[in-house]
Amino acid sequence: MKSFKRKIILSLLLIAGVSSCSKNTQDSDLALNTINAEEIKTDGTFEVMELPAPPYVQSAVGNRAAKKVVVNLEVIEEVGELANGVEYNFWTFNGTVPGTFIRARVGDEIELHLKNRDDSNFPHNIDLHAVNGPGGGAEATFVAPGKEAVFTFKALHAGLYVYHCAAAPVGMHIANGMYGLILIEPEGGLPPVDKEFYIMQGDFYTKGAYGEKGLQEFDINKAIAEQPDYVVFNGNTGALMGDNELQVKVGETVRLFVGNGGPNLTSSFHVIGEIFDKVYTEGGTTIMENVQTTSIPAGGAAIVEFKADVPGDYVLVDHAIFRAFHKGALGKIKVSGEENPNIFYEHKTKDQKL
Amino acid sequence: MKFIVIGFIFIISSCTPNISKQDSYKISKKTTYIYTNKNMVKIDGGTYEGFIGQDSGKLVKVKPFYMDDSPVTNEEFLDFLKKNPQWTKSNVSRLYADIDYLKNWPSDFEFPKDVSPNSPVTNISWFAANAYAKSVGKRLPTVDEWEFVALADATTKDASKKPEFSDAILKSYQRKDTYKTSIKLEQPNFYGVYDMYGKVWEWTEDFNSVMMSGESRNDSSKNEDLFCAGAAVTTSDLHNYAAFVRYAMRGSLKANYNVNNLGFRCAKDL
Amino acid sequence: MLKIYDMKNLFIYLMIAFIAMACNQKDEHLTNVSSESIFQLNSEWENQEGEFIKLSDLKGNTLVMVMIYTSCKTACPRLTGEMREIEKKLGNYNENKIKLVLVSIDPKVDTPETMKKYLNDNDFNGDQWLFLRSDEASTREFANVLSVKYKQISPIDFSHSNIISVFSDQGVLTYQKEGLTVDTSEVVNEINKLLNNS
Repeated sequence: MKSFKRKIILSLLLIAGVSSCSKNTQDSDLALNTINAEEIKTDGTFEVMELPAPPYVQSAVGNRAAKKVVVNLEVIEEVGELANGVEYNFWTFNGTVPGTFIRARVGDEIELHLKNRDDSNFPHNIDLHAVNGPGGGAEATFVAPGKEAVFTFKALHAGLYVYHCAAAPVGMHIANGMYGLILIEPEGGLPPVDKEFYIMQGDFYTKGAYGEKGLQEFDINKAIAEQPDYVVFNGNTGALMGDNELQVKVGETVRLFVGNGGPNLTSSFHVIGEIFDKVYTEGGTTIMENVQTTSIPAGGAAIVEFKADVPGDYVLVDHAIFRAFHKGALGKIKVSGEENPNIFYEHKTKDQKL
Repeated sequence: MKFIVIGFIFIISSCTPNISKQDSYKISKKTTYIYTNKNMVKIDGGTYEGFIGQDSGKLVKVKPFYMDDSPVTNEEFLDFLKKNPQWTKSNVSRLYADIDYLKNWPSDFEFPKDVSPNSPVTNISWFAANAYAKSVGKRLPTVDEWEFVALADATTKDASKKPEFSDAILKSYQRKDTYKTSIKLEQPNFYGVYDMYGKVWEWTEDFNSVMMSGESRNDSSKNEDLFCAGAAVTTSDLHNYAAFVRYAMRGSLKANYNVNNLGFRCAKDL
Repeated sequence: MLKIYDMKNLFIYLMIAFIAMACNQKDEHLTNVSSESIFQLNSEWENQEGEFIKLSDLKGNTLVMVMIYTSCKTACPRLTGEMREIEKKLGNYNENKIKLVLVSIDPKVDTPETMKKYLNDNDFNGDQWLFLRSDEASTREFANVLSVKYKQISPIDFSHSNIISVFSDQGVLTYQKEGLTVDTSEVVNEINKLLNNS
């Protein structure tokens, strides 16, 4: 009888031990993935990636197997709106600033096609921070107007990475809007959320002052002095305002993929009225919790997550606050739904009641 | 006797090659010389500060030479093609031009409808530009010669120290469809040479002496793997973005490329 | 019954016929050349023996070509070393079917004597080794066909791309090895493929 009891106790201990161990392995799963990524075999199928325009992204990778994915990027030089009545000669990937979001998983073989549309004036290329290889792809993809280059790379590291043009003079190519984000999801994918959006901050340098109407020229002196006239999300002061506000419902979990194309400034990213439940700091795999404002360096990114609890307008800003109110670093998330007086309740004063 | 004559004729006719359209260029490979009344300007030569690489900051010597006062036009190139059909769109050798050669020309002897006859000819490869230059008894300018002439603005020989000069050029580079309009619409420079900016990129004899790998961050240190002997793309003039984009363009080209906004002009020794 | 008069005429007609056929055969030779072949180039090249050839004279040989200059101190010795390594890795190959060609980007300095000495110093013996030079314009033209970039940076120094190019025996470019850090195994495979097919 004694030995039987002992066996039961031992086995219960064992079970308890094993179950707590497996919990630990879940947390370090992400780290383990990067070690074995080179050996992940693709399943033999290939898929041409969808190319939604920002602020939208492709659907989650989930727990699909690694495969070959084909990404088609086209460089388009086009005049567009920077602010109301203000036009700028943007250089873009696929016609948007930022360029199309790229989404894949660790172990995927990504075949990247870079075409320079034949009405371009200049040669361009691409450097993806997710690439392990010379120049991040820049050497392989230097294309004159009308030409196309292709290269394939294996995604070895999970994380959110910047991509940008690296053709000379690099500063000008980036300053004109040639940047975007590429997300490499870990095996099994990121935990699911209700809404995902793609936002990228950039600083713009124009000959004219902020708000001066008409077609504005790139100002190299201001760029060298790091004194932008515009600091905006998604290439336009109005990209996430008015009709373009991001729509979310009360109770939904929201994930923002936030990048900073620079070329110069670091962003102090904050959502007024919200706290980030999770921040994947610097776009890597370590998670910080309960963060108010996160620093996103030029050429860097971060993933932020929160749950929308209370309806209302939530303003996205670069908390280096003069940029928000004098240079355009503003966006809005509109949360609609039932009031939640447990979390936020505005008291009516005696005057208001009357 | 009759049989011998018939036999002779038979032998000759069976040996005469079938000159198909495909083969015709192979047989008439020789350049036929043509006449052009394009004006040339005498450039006195001198020195200028090299922009990149080993020349960066050093004084580069340019000997006196003649420069075409404007890019070669569609009309002028058509004259060349009429006498040198081996260079038409359907006959050109793949070695000398890729599939984009004269791609906007509806047929071998017709230039595009939406461009002026006096607009610069584009979508021609370096080999084609060279062949044209040869046919008119000229050659392509070297990078140094071209850059030397490009130092001038309307009033001075060397405007490179004026900051507004580089800015104005960079601005002109961003205009679209400039290759569709006629040459000589704007003021000539100090030498009387037109369209050095804001019209088309131009082939040069030694464009392939620009060793930019496309990886421009690395280019500032010696890339000894791809290029022998210190092909550093450093520059003394970091402000001169206009020159940067020009050299980047040269670095991105191969001689058989044909680009919408890339044309050429000719030069000649004294 | 043939009279002497007829014999004379017959002789003349036959001579003309043969001449005509011979002329046509020259064109036959050209019409076999593909639109991508370097044998279309008209340039004249002088080899290490001081003999003048055209590239089309190399027809029928798989070609392995590199552009260097003899006074180079940095990468060219490595490029030359790679050519040696490639030849070694080819093992027992048919010397009559391949030409390993060094092309000078410094024709002023690389005279036939200099070129011959360079080949000797490197133990590149045999008819399969060739060193060629031409005039400046033809050199620039050939470099452009290979997408080789080069620039004279001092009276004795050139910057240039480090590229080894492989051509089929019809003169069509089939493979290029760019850079010095890449292994020679792949280029040797490509050459062997061509040698086995020719």
